Amino acid sequence: MKFLDVLRLALRNLREARLRAGLTTLGVIVGVSMIVTMMSFGLGLQRNAVQRFRDLDLFNEITVSGRDLIGLVSSAMGDNGGGERREGRGRRGNRPDANDPSRKVPERMLTEAALKEIAGLPGVASVEPNIDLTTYVRANKRALLRQVGGALVPNGATRFKTYLAGRMISSPQADEAVVDESFLRSFGFAKAEDAVGQTLELLAPAGAAGAERSGEGAEKGANTKDEASAKDVTRAQDEASAKDEASAKDDAGAEDGAGVASEAGRGVGDEEGLSFFGLPLEEESAGEDPVAGALAARTFRIVGVLKTEVEGSPQGGRQFRGMMPVSSIYIPLPAARVWSDRYRNSISEVAFRLARESGVLKDDETEGYGMAVVRVTDPDVLPDVQRRLNELGFNSFSIVDQLKELRTVFLILNSALGLLGGISLLVASFGIANTMIMSILERTREIGIMKAIGAEDREIKLIFFVEAGLIGLMGGVFGALAAWAIDAVANRLAYRFILQPRGVSYVDFFALPPYLWLGAILFAVAVAILAALYPAARAARIDPVKALRHD
Amino acid sequence: MTVPLLQTREVSKHYQMGATKVVALDRVSVAVGEGEFVALLGTSGSGKSTLLNLIGGLDRPNEGEVLFDGRSLAPFTKREMARYRRHSVGMIFQNFNLITTMTAAENVELALAFGGLAGREREQRAGELLERVGLGARAGHRPSELSGGEQQRVAIARALANRPRVLLADEPTGNLDSTRARELLSLLREMVADDRLTVLLVTHDRDLAAKFADRTIQMRDGKVVSDE
Repeated sequence: MKFLDVLRLALRNLREARLRAGLTTLGVIVGVSMIVTMMSFGLGLQRNAVQRFRDLDLFNEITVSGRDLIGLVSSAMGDNGGGERREGRGRRGNRPDANDPSRKVPERMLTEAALKEIAGLPGVASVEPNIDLTTYVRANKRALLRQVGGALVPNGATRFKTYLAGRMISSPQADEAVVDESFLRSFGFAKAEDAVGQTLELLAPAGAAGAERSGEGAEKGANTKDEASAKDVTRAQDEASAKDEASAKDDAGAEDGAGVASEAGRGVGDEEGLSFFGLPLEEESAGEDPVAGALAARTFRIVGVLKTEVEGSPQGGRQFRGMMPVSSIYIPLPAARVWSDRYRNSISEVAFRLARESGVLKDDETEGYGMAVVRVTDPDVLPDVQRRLNELGFNSFSIVDQLKELRTVFLILNSALGLLGGISLLVASFGIANTMIMSILERTREIGIMKAIGAEDREIKLIFFVEAGLIGLMGGVFGALAAWAIDAVANRLAYRFILQPRGVSYVDFFALPPYLWLGAILFAVAVAILAALYPAARAARIDPVKALRHD
Repeated sequence: MTVPLLQTREVSKHYQMGATKVVALDRVSVAVGEGEFVALLGTSGSGKSTLLNLIGGLDRPNEGEVLFDGRSLAPFTKREMARYRRHSVGMIFQNFNLITTMTAAENVELALAFGGLAGREREQRAGELLERVGLGARAGHRPSELSGGEQQRVAIARALANRPRVLLADEPTGNLDSTRARELLSLLREMVADDRLTVLLVTHDRDLAAKFADRTIQMRDGKVVSDE
């Protein structure tokens, strides 16, 4: 007998007992819709949670740190660190925490070459070294102490995705800056649009730059051009407080600014040179300059205002995005590097010279970056990348373990929800078995007839399996549709009565991926066939002689 | 002497009814040649239906063996037995045993479907069979819309669907009036003459047996008492 004939026979049998088949199918519909609704809710929670973390760049970023300047010097000077962690360097093997990568002292410096090496690792999307300077910034006739960050251009981080106005810095060489919402307030801009197109200046004492010029020049000459140094935040802050009193409110040292500019430009990349600091400075500084010569300045045009504050967010404040320290002003990385090299604070300058003197830092070397953020292409490859970073001799940190934990929690939650739904499908499976047995009792004679005219046992079984499978399939399909409808209605209700009154925008609470509803339908079919195992075997066992006895 | 198409050798069949053992067949040996119309005569309980079920492959004997065309059915698996019922023998019954929810044509097509025939070919063959039993015009009717005689003709068409060489008829006229009974047996007689069909007819009507059968085997209490 052809399968198509079996199918037609099964369909005919179901049609003959329409009500019973319908009620049985209804049971399966309830079961499947329960499973799918429950699990789509769990998966929706998971998706929304993971998405939230992903949007904040928390699952695709690793911070990596290398040996810093102070670490170098203390090793050279035989300082065992006086209780500091880095005392373990060189004899890690003896220490109980030697194998804990987070406690280990990094072996390598984060030089430009090291960054290139890291960027070449499989799964790495970009590497962004951290430079942030705390310095006086002047804009809109106010000068305030601000933290300024260097930004990789172009930049894939989500923190540079949304703008109130304007756009991202156009190229690494552009004299452009992006600022955030807090900048608007503190510098007195009413609207984001007002700030775009305006300029801001980074201020430094002209003398400092002049004094260091010769030394720096020698250093630069000896260095390969892509080597540069970075300072960590604390040092930058020291520097800032040291220069506190030099913070004259609204003056710019035009000549010195230009001088710094050309010098810095040469230091960083020969290709850009003077074009770095062109017209704006010259024009602005032309007339008004009472304290000329006292301050060095570098001018950037504000091209974008970042949207960093979320309305209705319970924290109300700035959102935490990614692993990179947050600044309210970002300038291109090369410019930040030049600035930070030029205005190295006195302590790190001493450490730098000590390192040179002792030989731990060769003449053609500079200290590396303190920290960099490695962005991976996908959260799934993050652990692998992190392991390689540790193998290369760097320290790294990520919160991917939290992602793993989150997944485990949701796996448990989804299993529990699926199990609850599964119970109702189990009940439905009893219904299927019951229906099948009933129909065997009713159709005993018919089965006897089929056997008498040559039906094989397996053909009889197949008819029953197909009947049950059809009930499972119909129940599965309509159950999945019902679940979809329930999801949609629940979403609307939640929006209408919970989210909307609180001014929160629409959120889809449910995730209904194809594998979920397809899986549920297949599962329903499988359960139905399982439920038909006994009835089918019983049908095949029917003795035709007894079934056809005519009394 | 040629091998008989159907043969039983010393077949016995007994049932356990509670504590007592009921002997339905007691060492029965019969033989039916190809193209013969044989009547199996006996009162109810004489074992004639049991013998027919053994020959039809619906049941197996406790002792002895059934042979079809010289081959014993004893070693057949359940599956081979099903194939035997499908292709070698056709059966009709007193109460017709049509599937009541199917039309005449569908009943015949069901048997053809088990025989592996499909589509247009199957419809055509079902039409031919119903035409052969004189029911070409009633193909679309359900059993409840057909008379007893018509239903039994549908059963014959179904029994002959997969071209068996033997038709086993278990009291086919039991539910028919004498006119319809005669018409039906005439049809079988005609098939024996025209198509060289072999018919084994179980009946308790001595007159009908004498009128249509080539030979009558009489049974009583599970034993053959006469064969002439």
